[in-house]
Amino acid sequence: MNWLNDNVNALSLLGAAAILILTFFVVGKYMKQMKTDKASGELAKENWDGIGEYKNALPIGWALSFLGTIAWAAWYFLAGYPLASYSQLGEYNQEVKSYNTKFESKFANPDKATLMAMGEGVFLVQCAPCHGVTGDGMNGKALNLSKWGNEEAIVASILNGSKGSDYPLGEMPAGLLDAESAKAVAAYVMQEVSVVKKSKNPALVETGKALWATCAACHGEDGKGMAGSAPDLSVYGDAKFVVNVLGTGKKGMIGNMPKFNDGRLTNVQKTAVGAYVSSLAK
Amino acid sequence: MFHWLERNPFFFAVGVFLVIAYAGVVTILPDFMETARPVVGTKPYTVLELAGRQVYIKDSCNACHSQLIRPFKSETDRYGMYSLSGEFAYDRPFLWGSKRTGPDLMRVGNYRTSDWHEYHMLDPISVVPGSIMPAYKHMFKNTADIDTAYAEALTVKKVFNTPYDQPDMPKLGTHEEAKKAVMEEAALIVADMKSQEVKEAFKRGEIKEIVALIAYLNSLK
Repeated sequence: MNWLNDNVNALSLLGAAAILILTFFVVGKYMKQMKTDKASGELAKENWDGIGEYKNALPIGWALSFLGTIAWAAWYFLAGYPLASYSQLGEYNQEVKSYNTKFESKFANPDKATLMAMGEGVFLVQCAPCHGVTGDGMNGKALNLSKWGNEEAIVASILNGSKGSDYPLGEMPAGLLDAESAKAVAAYVMQEVSVVKKSKNPALVETGKALWATCAACHGEDGKGMAGSAPDLSVYGDAKFVVNVLGTGKKGMIGNMPKFNDGRLTNVQKTAVGAYVSSLAK
Repeated sequence: MFHWLERNPFFFAVGVFLVIAYAGVVTILPDFMETARPVVGTKPYTVLELAGRQVYIKDSCNACHSQLIRPFKSETDRYGMYSLSGEFAYDRPFLWGSKRTGPDLMRVGNYRTSDWHEYHMLDPISVVPGSIMPAYKHMFKNTADIDTAYAEALTVKKVFNTPYDQPDMPKLGTHEEAKKAVMEEAALIVADMKSQEVKEAFKRGEIKEIVALIAYLNSLK
């Protein structure tokens, strides 16, 4: 008889017995009433095919609970509902807030591997639709990111010009320098100005430095872009340069890249994408 | 007290109607009044965008694409800020959609551009590997119906007081003025496109459906 020790089983049995006993008495009462009772009382006027209705007062318990529900509804409409209401937007705000707190603490100081993993994830969602899953620009539909961040890319920019990031000094015209000079300036930018600090053609650096004046007119003597008037070349080849492009968007020679400054990406995510895109450069 | 009501089926029905209608009124009306106003910054569509919207409807884009971002983090991460009902104030009809075979397009103008749309409509797989969306090459051949779009704009302006021709709102003007504005707006989009067919048609004064559709998609922000 182990099962009787269980509270739920015992309660259920007790309830079943109570219902049986109550049913027995109630049925008994009405059976007796049906045998002896006569209809009596005042009939209401309405009458459907000979079937009438007595004017009986409402049972007290029923009337009280009816009034009680009306009072409860008034309280619920006026006070209860607005105070204790559930709000979908409230739940959303809480969800976002708790996520952001967690994100910030978890990725406060991300290491290189974390950044790369995050950057790849963001890249596949936000960048891959145009630049392709591998970042190859899908046959010229967008910039081939493996051909960025190196001297060849700088040479190409100088020869073809560059436009579309809405810097105050406007677009860079094509052909400011000939191919040889462009190569030299690219070597100078890579070794002296950018964060890479290393050139494939170290021999050309001095020549490039001499030619830098053409570029300095917009990018500044130090190549930092004169406080936002032109792109900051001192971060070329680095995640920060990519972050700058995400902020300005680009309506360039190939196509139109939207700005990513509507809060869709957090700063950490932008840096992560920058690190990932920089790693695609060869 | 209410025995007289039981003898009058008509008034009894009126009473039942009032009781049920009351519940509807208190639950629906206050929310509706508050949220159905246009959100600040929401503008009616220009004529070219309306023409594009008709293309969107005609080719049943809404059968696979929704335009309603729900307030869940998974959705706002991907599509942007959740939708507010006031943002649909000038959508006639609304294009919320009920099924997402493709992604939501409520704010597609924020993260896709004219040239991407062009590649995508011509050959979806060329930009989205594995996409099951069909190509919409005929949009590069068919000419957009600008006159009907103008008629639509004029109708909603007159019938629903849609705020065209008001400060900071799109200009509608006369049919001639509107046609000129449409050409100017379309010129910017055609300049961003690569298709020679579309460019040449535009030189002849024809606006292809793809141009109108891109104008509409770019306006979704």
